[in-house]
Amino acid sequence: MLLSTTAIPPTEVSKPSTALHPKRRRLGRTLGPYLFLLPATLFLAVFLLYPICTMLLFSFEQVNIGTLLTGNIPFVGFDNYRTILSDATFRSSLGVSLLFTLACLVFQFCIGFLLALLFNRPLPLVGVMRGSVMIAWMLPIVVSGTIFKWMLQSDAGIINYALQSIGLIHSPIQWLSDPKVALWGVIIANIWIGIPFNMSLLLAGLQGISAALYEAAVVDGANGINRFFRITLPLMRSTSLTVLMLGFIYTLNVFDLIYVMTGGGPVNATEVMPLYAYRIAFGEFDLGSGSAVATLMFLLLLVVSALYLFLIRREEAS
Amino acid sequence: MAIVVRRSWRIALLTVLGVLCTLLLIFPLYWVVISSLKNTTELFSSTPTLFPLQIDWTPYIANFVQNQDMEHYIGNSLQIAVGTMLLTLVLAAPVSYALARLPIKGKNGYLLALLVVQMFPSIMLALPLFVMFSQLGFINSLPAVVLAITTRTLPFAALILRPFFLSLPRELEDAAAIDGCTQWGTFYRIILPLARPGLITVAVLTFLMGWSDFLFPLSLISDDAKRPLTLGLYKFIGEYGTRWNDLMAVSVVSALPVILVFIFAQKYITSGLVAGAVKE
Repeated sequence: MLLSTTAIPPTEVSKPSTALHPKRRRLGRTLGPYLFLLPATLFLAVFLLYPICTMLLFSFEQVNIGTLLTGNIPFVGFDNYRTILSDATFRSSLGVSLLFTLACLVFQFCIGFLLALLFNRPLPLVGVMRGSVMIAWMLPIVVSGTIFKWMLQSDAGIINYALQSIGLIHSPIQWLSDPKVALWGVIIANIWIGIPFNMSLLLAGLQGISAALYEAAVVDGANGINRFFRITLPLMRSTSLTVLMLGFIYTLNVFDLIYVMTGGGPVNATEVMPLYAYRIAFGEFDLGSGSAVATLMFLLLLVVSALYLFLIRREEAS
Repeated sequence: MAIVVRRSWRIALLTVLGVLCTLLLIFPLYWVVISSLKNTTELFSSTPTLFPLQIDWTPYIANFVQNQDMEHYIGNSLQIAVGTMLLTLVLAAPVSYALARLPIKGKNGYLLALLVVQMFPSIMLALPLFVMFSQLGFINSLPAVVLAITTRTLPFAALILRPFFLSLPRELEDAAAIDGCTQWGTFYRIILPLARPGLITVAVLTFLMGWSDFLFPLSLISDDAKRPLTLGLYKFIGEYGTRWNDLMAVSVVSALPVILVFIFAQKYITSGLVAGAVKE
């Protein structure tokens, strides 16, 4: 059905066009390229832009089963925003989201950077190593979540077993059921998912640094530590900014992992903003307030992207 | 001489370190496979074994041979994954080609827009799409899920395909134009066959994205017969929180396409992922 767009038999198109008047043919050459944009643009307009606009509108309306059924959806101004901002669980979800995102970013980035430095060396088997660590990235997140839920299990989980056998802890940690540590349980899982992404982008950045710079530094007598702080770090600044910005976007939007591992519990300890929005919209069926939460999330992402653009401009100018 | 010896020691040491890091990072995957093959007593033993003392296939037989539900879930997942892959390819290839090669005004703006829409939280789309598809009576339908997932895969696919089109020699299009080939004819008969490595990369990645998706089926499907495997797996967590070995077996089967792709088509995806993430 929808698949017929590119299946236009080439012969049918080429025959009449060769016979066209040169002037019309020239017009076809100028307008023709835009026809290539048409299928994707139409699709994105109907299934992406239109829904986003309805969602923005919903955030100012009272949308629930009742109003959707009658089709009479009242406009309520900023009421939805007022409702969620005065809700303590929303404010807590904002805090949880920020802590989750920042903790994941710091660890993923540092571990990813160290691995990239290691895998950037001409070691035997390095290609196999680079490739193997990527698998964590492509695994369905529901599966990664289940694996970590099992490894973090308090009685039979391998993580508690390992920590106990090296003597770091004496009694098992209730990783996912203790409200004080549950967020760290999901953070550990998400760091594992994020490492390959950080590693591969940073590695691509490291490979872009000219070897001649390091050779010149060696001639000038710079040691390894000097070379890292004087050459590698400054030249990796814009790659790092990009990795951190993309990481921020991905991590703030994490939904599946937490939904599977804790469902947002215990007592909302791991309820990040996407989970809060989902619970409000699909659990309590208040689609208006759910839309308001999603809109606020998007504004937060916009602010971060603007900050990124500002920093990267300044970086390129210097 | 002494320097050479010190150097080779260093390389050996760093290689060992690299191998250890790699093993640590792929350990969770190893652990789920091993756990799925242990019997219940061994699974919950207080001293975990790194390899099952006795391989037990019961959870696989119980879930995939005796129980028909899983086959429905797998069938639905395959339909969603293949549908997403085909729809994305058909939509992304022309737009990506045009943005790479054809004279179009506002090209940079379009590229930027593709980048920005990838930033939207999925929840931001799940909400209005749920309302839109409910009003159209399009809930509990696999094509609706495919349409929803394609909103995420299409911008990504268009951006990672572009470098493949950019790298083709321009002379091809000029020669085709002189021979009287139309733009669509050139695209279909000359460009697409040459861009095959890129198309395979996109096909593999979008298949996996469709296979793995969770939020869209979760919000758009409530009928158990239409659920994909990711939701089937989640149902297990709720229903049988303690039946870990079943959960492990279903997880391994859910991870299977990814593992197979990594073994047989790794070169296609690693480069594609990096290119897709950083295209300016």
